[in-house]
Amino acid sequence: MNLEELEKRVTLMEDIQEIENLQRIYAYYFDLQRWEDIVDLFSDNAESVEIVDHGLFLGKEGVKKMYWDWIGKGIRSANQPWIQFIITQIGGVVDISPDGKTAWGRWQTWLCEAKPFGAFPKQEWLHGYYENKYVKENGKWLFSKLHWNNTFCSPFEDGWLKTPLMGLMNYHPTVKPDAPPTAFHPYPSGYHLPYHYRHPITGA
Amino acid sequence: MATLEELQARITRLDDIKQVEKLQRIYGYYLDCESVEVADFGVYRGKAGVKKFYLDLLGSKPPRVGELSIGMIMQGVVDIDPDGKTAKGRWYCMSIEAKPTISLHEGELRQLWGNGIYENEYVKENGKWLFKKVFYFLNFRTPYEDGWLKVPPPDAPPTNYAPYPSGIHLQPHYKHPITGK
Repeated sequence: MNLEELEKRVTLMEDIQEIENLQRIYAYYFDLQRWEDIVDLFSDNAESVEIVDHGLFLGKEGVKKMYWDWIGKGIRSANQPWIQFIITQIGGVVDISPDGKTAWGRWQTWLCEAKPFGAFPKQEWLHGYYENKYVKENGKWLFSKLHWNNTFCSPFEDGWLKTPLMGLMNYHPTVKPDAPPTAFHPYPSGYHLPYHYRHPITGA
Repeated sequence: MATLEELQARITRLDDIKQVEKLQRIYGYYLDCESVEVADFGVYRGKAGVKKFYLDLLGSKPPRVGELSIGMIMQGVVDIDPDGKTAKGRWYCMSIEAKPTISLHEGELRQLWGNGIYENEYVKENGKWLFKKVFYFLNFRTPYEDGWLKVPPPDAPPTNYAPYPSGIHLQPHYKHPITGK
């Protein structure tokens, strides 16, 4: 193997490592309610962001609308008592495109949340899958597309069999998505978010 | 094109990350038989402190049937310092436990959910990565039946909370019956 081939292989491993870190850092910022820092993890040319049933938000403007205006309630960094986001990132499968400039990643998430539903704080279990797209700009990996599909959002007390979905989150009085959600089919629909990768052995 | 030396440095950094990740995960698997929570136990300094914490405090009890302490170590972000000799790592730990109701004492076993964050430091000695500092920040440790939001928000923080061995005692409302002081 010549030096050039070796460098390509090292770069590929570095890219995977950086993207894994990016995804995990995103989640730690989310849990800290640091919405401004999250927006800065997205490319200025970001394609879209879609989180559960909020709808599809396009471009960097859409990213700001999603995290600052909707989830952050207009606050770019918050520290609210009794609100808890713990969105653990598990089982990343990251694939770098052959040209090394874009990448895809699938992750699953296990969440322990507490947030208000109407007037009352509720504790919830959630699970979901990400299919995200990343782009390398000036040597750094950024999000270009983020899609989180929710498997269930269930009250701690009931579990997912009794109450698969605690309520819809698809309404905001002023913030409107650019399009309806592309996929929102919680348990027990049997829906699986399409995979970005082929079967590693059979190629199916 | 990169030089051989540059490539070697880059591969070493990647190797180091993988070694630290492995170390942290192995720690998690050892926890499974050695029940550990760090956040509420205080600081133990030096290697002697490490032995005191893991061996004397946590490892000195006889094993008990049904006792369980699974620590799932997840979401590591490991950064190797520029000199390649030390590193820092942030991790989530989700724990599934069955423990006596009164910590470190006998009592009915309760099933628990736990969650916390590690911000740990590592050091490379003779080519091997070791723990330099373990810091565990507890988010919750809560009964399986109740969850983390069982207690409704209070109207005000505790006016006086300083349990043993703080040395602070709640003073009686009454005066001495004989001396009147």
